[in-house]
Amino acid sequence: MLGYEFMQRAFWAGGLIGVIGPVLGVFLMLRRQVLMADTLSHVSLAGVALGSFLKLNPALSGFAMAIVGALVIEQLRRVYRTYTEVPVAIIMTSGLALSVVLMSLNPNLSKSFSSYLFGSIVAVSDTQLRLIAVVAAVGIIFFVGLRRPLYNFAFDEETAAVSGMRVSLLSFLFAVFTGMMVAAAMPVVGVLLVSALIVLPASIALRMATGFLAAMGIAVVVGLSGVFSGLAASYYLNTPPGGTIALILLGFLIMAVIFQKLLRLQNRRLIQKINRNRSHKNYEEI
Amino acid sequence: MLLSSMRDVMFGYGDQAVVENLSLDIHSGQFVGISGPNGAAKSTLLKLMLGLIKPWSGSNVFKRVLEDGSRISVGYVPQQVASFNAGFPSKVIELVRSGRYGRLGLFKRFTSADHEIVERSLKEVGMWEYRHRRIGELSGGQKQRICVARALAQEPQVLILDEPTTGMDVASRTDLYRLLNDYVKYKGNTVIMVTHSLDEIGPYLDQVVRLERKGNEGWRCSVTNSCSARFGQEA
Repeated sequence: MLGYEFMQRAFWAGGLIGVIGPVLGVFLMLRRQVLMADTLSHVSLAGVALGSFLKLNPALSGFAMAIVGALVIEQLRRVYRTYTEVPVAIIMTSGLALSVVLMSLNPNLSKSFSSYLFGSIVAVSDTQLRLIAVVAAVGIIFFVGLRRPLYNFAFDEETAAVSGMRVSLLSFLFAVFTGMMVAAAMPVVGVLLVSALIVLPASIALRMATGFLAAMGIAVVVGLSGVFSGLAASYYLNTPPGGTIALILLGFLIMAVIFQKLLRLQNRRLIQKINRNRSHKNYEEI
Repeated sequence: MLLSSMRDVMFGYGDQAVVENLSLDIHSGQFVGISGPNGAAKSTLLKLMLGLIKPWSGSNVFKRVLEDGSRISVGYVPQQVASFNAGFPSKVIELVRSGRYGRLGLFKRFTSADHEIVERSLKEVGMWEYRHRRIGELSGGQKQRICVARALAQEPQVLILDEPTTGMDVASRTDLYRLLNDYVKYKGNTVIMVTHSLDEIGPYLDQVVRLERKGNEGWRCSVTNSCSARFGQEA
């Protein structure tokens, strides 16, 4: 499998996304913006369609459009403070509508768009791999370098702002990076499932982790495991990689929930046993 | 030093004004209590003061820089911050350590002095034993206490708290009042606190800001510069 160049590219791309995507997902979940990734993938698709229509590089136009979409959502979030899901809905439908219209104007492109919708291993071109590598490098610098402000920012924006942090600037950078990440991940997992790769590992991590760093670590391990096993399964079963990765991650989530429930049950039984022994001992002493 | 100065401030939500013609001065080195019934815009007043929201009209100046050019460190514990996302993946000690981040910047390492400050802050609010617990597992009162500890770890010159005693028992409340009083009286810092328990905290306060409704005239702000003996007198 790894003898093929396109598979090597897919594993490199998936590995890089599998590290950064889940970390981004943890922050998106904590900021209650889980649908942001889904929305931006639709916006990015509109960018790809626009690029094709205007004879530009579709990967780059999709990338640029996702960043613009993220910034517009961030701006609208300030307008709709009480209903923060409203901007997401507005931009998602706008992105999808624009994609559909642009695609209908150029019907020859429809076939290649299915690879964007559902992800395709062969869709990862050299340009896209380079873009993903750049995004991953930016992501590592962003999340490692700004880990302290990002923690305070995710915990509570108001206290962060009062303590002197430049919350607006960080929000802006966060939105830009989210757009970049979504656009980069799209060719591998597809428009419809890009948020699965970002959100599912994060939701497992938030269930299991005891601390903040642990949450990041678990999210990355789950993300990488899901991507690598999903890509391999997709190759052997000839299934779309996005769907395969998402199903595997979903399986991980179900296993995590069951494991946690069993662990709690075991702990409860242990406590009951200790209490029983204690009361038995007290009874014997009396 | 004049820390906060508001002149004829007006602010509201939608088209409904909740603060009208508010003028208020707060000086540094004082323990200031802000009181009033529910809906009296106490939290809004704090947010206006801190510049988190902008007034419709009037002027608002909150001093952030001293004469020597150094920044005034401000710690803030908002109302209901303790109801933060129960799933926030953090241990108590991690959260309180984050109070030091502003002073340490992006890359400076924690020194033993920083660790001591974190430990002292947690001990001051009686939460040191809980330092390895996940914050989501704590009760409402305990969450409030770690949020206060986080603000204290910041070592702010100005500490602003919005009903920090919500969910705390009487003993914890009394301990907190004494702690804040020492923070003002012995360390020369400023504490501004929204509270419903003027009867409990009254003896410690230097200034009381009361927000009250005056018939159909809307909300009125009256300021009582009081010591414990004068507390309760009209402005």
